[in-house]
Amino acid sequence: MRRETQHVLLVLLGGALLRIAADDTHLRYVKPSHRWLLLAAGAVIVALAVVALVRDLRGHAPADDHDHGGSHVPWLLLAPVLVIALVAPPALGADSVNRAGARNAVVQDGDVFPPLPADPVLTVAEFVQRAAWDTSGSLDGREVTLTGFAVRRGAAVELARLTIACCAADARPNRVRLVGDLGDPPQDTWLRVRGSVQTGSATAATGYVPAMTVAAVEVVDAPPDPYEY
Amino acid sequence: MPVVTITARAPRITSLHVFCAVLVLAILARPLITEAASAPALRTAATVFVAVCVQALPFLVFGVLLSGVIAAFVSPAALRRMLPAHPGAAVPVAGAAGLVLPGCECASVPVARRLIGQGVPDAAALTFLLAAPAVNPIVLVATAVAFPGEPRMVLARFLGSLATACVMGWLWQRAGRAEWIADRARRGTPRRDGENRWAVLAETARHDLVSAGGFLVLGAVAAAALSVLVPPEWMDALAGQLLLAIVVMAVLAVVLALCSEADAFVAASLSMLPLLPRLVFLVVGPAVDVKLIALQAGTFGRAFAARFAPATFVVAILCACAAGALVL
Repeated sequence: MRRETQHVLLVLLGGALLRIAADDTHLRYVKPSHRWLLLAAGAVIVALAVVALVRDLRGHAPADDHDHGGSHVPWLLLAPVLVIALVAPPALGADSVNRAGARNAVVQDGDVFPPLPADPVLTVAEFVQRAAWDTSGSLDGREVTLTGFAVRRGAAVELARLTIACCAADARPNRVRLVGDLGDPPQDTWLRVRGSVQTGSATAATGYVPAMTVAAVEVVDAPPDPYEY
Repeated sequence: MPVVTITARAPRITSLHVFCAVLVLAILARPLITEAASAPALRTAATVFVAVCVQALPFLVFGVLLSGVIAAFVSPAALRRMLPAHPGAAVPVAGAAGLVLPGCECASVPVARRLIGQGVPDAAALTFLLAAPAVNPIVLVATAVAFPGEPRMVLARFLGSLATACVMGWLWQRAGRAEWIADRARRGTPRRDGENRWAVLAETARHDLVSAGGFLVLGAVAAAALSVLVPPEWMDALAGQLLLAIVVMAVLAVVLALCSEADAFVAASLSMLPLLPRLVFLVVGPAVDVKLIALQAGTFGRAFAARFAPATFVVAILCACAAGALVL
């Protein structure tokens, strides 16, 4: 690959990183704090290409450019640019949850949780944690509000949300089985549900998937940050 | 005469032309591409692909900048003074140096390559390559957060990874051959007299980025494909079988290619397995995975990667089991 092609490619690559960091697109792929790394990396990549371009034009190009004709691998850098620019794949959803098997991947990080506030709004992950481990029964008889997307498992409807630590490649699902009058939400519809846990439903036998008796459900827009962290 | 002029001026197709043609084609075929990418499995794979690329690129950029700094500002003589003269003693020093480079594995490949180019013994540079992503403070803190109530997991991971790095260094020193590493990795920076050091930095970083970036993308493609192809039922079948669980978790660490700062959270979530197989997952992952193999093959040559990756895989499993037996 010629040097000038490499320069153009690097400008596009850096531009793609800057582009997804400029708005909420990067939240589909990485955690929010990664944004600053993306901005910095994008700026550095563009700067490296521009510096090399200017120096080449002034006749400073390295005489012994040993990569000529050898490798076609740099072409692969075009792949993420094209995928980001043309497809911009959406955040992971029901397909990814279904691939992860039928269990919730829970880690016990306590057995007594602080009491819930009045009119509690919880993350799906915290709801699952409390339902599975809390010996003080803080969820019992309380109506809580959860936001997530619908996952269909046969006739059953589950509310799910993915938790990421770094990027979407390490996403782990948390899901709640919804019981009650839900209508017929298609897969990947974002829902806000209000309801209360069925005590003792999140056990090893159910794969730590708690059941929730739903009092109210409404369809909502997908939030800008689709994951929980 | 005119005929000669025409042949002499006939346009040559260069990579820039091909590049523009690919771009135009891609834009024209966009509806087709979006249509094809709407299948759920393909969409999931595409998201994972972009996620791995976008997650790793900043760390690769950090690595190539550091590589440029070493090329421009650290002379081979200064590096030799920093390391013990005896290569066997240089290995653990290089392993300890890994403690201070806070990054993922993508950052350490260009840095290790630059160290070799600047005359650091191969064994020490390779030890650094394996230690840097595995034992730095960010990774250890992430492991402690992911395993609440299991502080021994952090110590076991630290010992297992450091042992893997040092054993591989000493192994390379005894059995490794210099010619397995491609010549291009050894080439130091040609420093012309009077050339601006900042220009050396920029050119080294740019060159390393272009040559390593393509391999990173290759690794991301493999990781994305495998993330939709590996059946989750593997996990549930493993609960009672320790040996099989160790082997499968080691293979999973290779094929999933998770960032070393994130793998602890995935390991923690596989709570149906005992701690030892999950420790193996944490020790193998930063040392050898599909995106690292691609990066190493591109940087040090295929002959190197074909020997180094399998050897590291076996050594990492053994070191993880030893550390697990000792600590857990």
